[in-house]
Amino acid sequence: MNYTVEIIGESVGKDGRKIIQVSKENFLDLMKDLKSKGYEHLSLITGVDRKDYMEVVYHLHSLKENQYVVVKVETRDYKIPSVVDLWHSADWDEREEYDLMGIIFEGRKDLKRLFLPENWVGHPLRKNYDLKKAQYINVDKEGNDYATFDEGGGW
Amino acid sequence: MEPEREWVELNFGPHHPSMHGVLRVKAKLDGEIIKDIEIIIGYLHRNAEKLCEMTYFADNLVYFDRMDYVGAMNMEVGYLEAAEKLLDIEPPERAKWIRVIMAELQRIAAHLVEIAAIGLDLGMLTPFFHCFREREKILDVFTEVSGARQEVNYMSIGGVYQDITERAITLTEQFFEEFPKRLKDLYNMFMKNDVFLSRTKGIGILDRDTAINYGVTGPVLRASGVEYDVRKAEPYLVYDQVNFDIPVSYKGDSLARVLVRFEEIKQSQKIVEQAIKKLPDGPYFNPKAKKSLMIRLRGEGEVYARTESSKGEFGVYIVGDGGVKPYRVRVRSPALKNLSILRPLSKDTMIADMITTSATLDLVFGEIDR
Repeated sequence: MNYTVEIIGESVGKDGRKIIQVSKENFLDLMKDLKSKGYEHLSLITGVDRKDYMEVVYHLHSLKENQYVVVKVETRDYKIPSVVDLWHSADWDEREEYDLMGIIFEGRKDLKRLFLPENWVGHPLRKNYDLKKAQYINVDKEGNDYATFDEGGGW
Repeated sequence: MEPEREWVELNFGPHHPSMHGVLRVKAKLDGEIIKDIEIIIGYLHRNAEKLCEMTYFADNLVYFDRMDYVGAMNMEVGYLEAAEKLLDIEPPERAKWIRVIMAELQRIAAHLVEIAAIGLDLGMLTPFFHCFREREKILDVFTEVSGARQEVNYMSIGGVYQDITERAITLTEQFFEEFPKRLKDLYNMFMKNDVFLSRTKGIGILDRDTAINYGVTGPVLRASGVEYDVRKAEPYLVYDQVNFDIPVSYKGDSLARVLVRFEEIKQSQKIVEQAIKKLPDGPYFNPKAKKSLMIRLRGEGEVYARTESSKGEFGVYIVGDGGVKPYRVRVRSPALKNLSILRPLSKDTMIADMITTSATLDLVFGEIDR
């Protein structure tokens, strides 16, 4: 396959899927290119915490050709351009990765947590997340959830 | 000049009888018309992916059982497809066929629960009892092979824990003798009911492009006219050795989603019957997995495996760093993607229609929240 942008590397994974590695600068252009080539189904967005940098993995799927392609991009400042305008299915995936991984997707509106309350401290799926400090979820008078370190007088 | 209007905000849930578990929907209403909804989830969130990072490869299976708790066998197949590829362990032929039998029986059971739930949301109680009576016979088969009804934990890395028994096969065959007639009765209960038809026909229409753009898969996508089924697109286990069709509808409304599920139940029965006939002799467990006592299994690299669960494309992505525990596990939950289309589908519809539309999306919150 020919790409309009420069890619870092191309390989085949253990499951036989093609992996394309791309730099953060060329990432959005590559995604636009792939979308126009018929990859209309964004299957999954994954963040992998490699401790000193974050690897974001995109699984794209062309329904017509039945082809899968994996796009990998590294980010050191945990920021990456959003692809919601290209695939709407990225919306909740990005919110989930922001919630649990702390990746900030730039250029989209309404980036908020998907599962946890808005004031939850930390991102649980990060490798350096402190599991010893328990956080409790409570409900305020308006019916909205909030997280607190105070166990309270519950059960 | 029209005065400025204020919308009424109405909360459904988190525990609303028609919201299938712990879904909370904040609806902005103009009379009985929904202007917009906000979907709030996470009430059942247990962070299963983090738990997977803290447990051995072989023990992680229990978290997958508890994701789609009405379709546990299909979840097990999904995880094992990924884990076995990562650990380089191939299950023997007989185990693959047993897995197909169990996965398809589970698909029938899961669709029966979904059809029962649709009936309940429309105020029909009788189909619920009929569906659960039939489902119970499938759970009897599961009890026979694994000792458990729902979170079965029957499959394992390298095969299945125990061989399928003669009695389990007899139970399945007895179930299938009666089942087509029961299914026909069930079908008639819906299709000869004017209330059901008028509340689903032409309601909640999902067009092809929106469905693909939102990442919808499974029966919901196939009801919108896309012939995409992982069992055909990327056959796993032995799905390339059995004959079955992919039911597709082009209507895209709530009725089409129900009909596609009815048709899929028939196809699943076809698959199980073929699998029982073709079930080969031989070991049901790969000795390589047993010899390593499961705990010492190590995997390196990364694998994405997709399987067709009763809700759609179920994907498991595992990254291994050569240790005894996975480095990162990520689950692609089909029900989560299916839920995300509820917002566009319920704009400018009646409240009651939003309920039926959400019912036909087959929401199971163990899987959505994980």
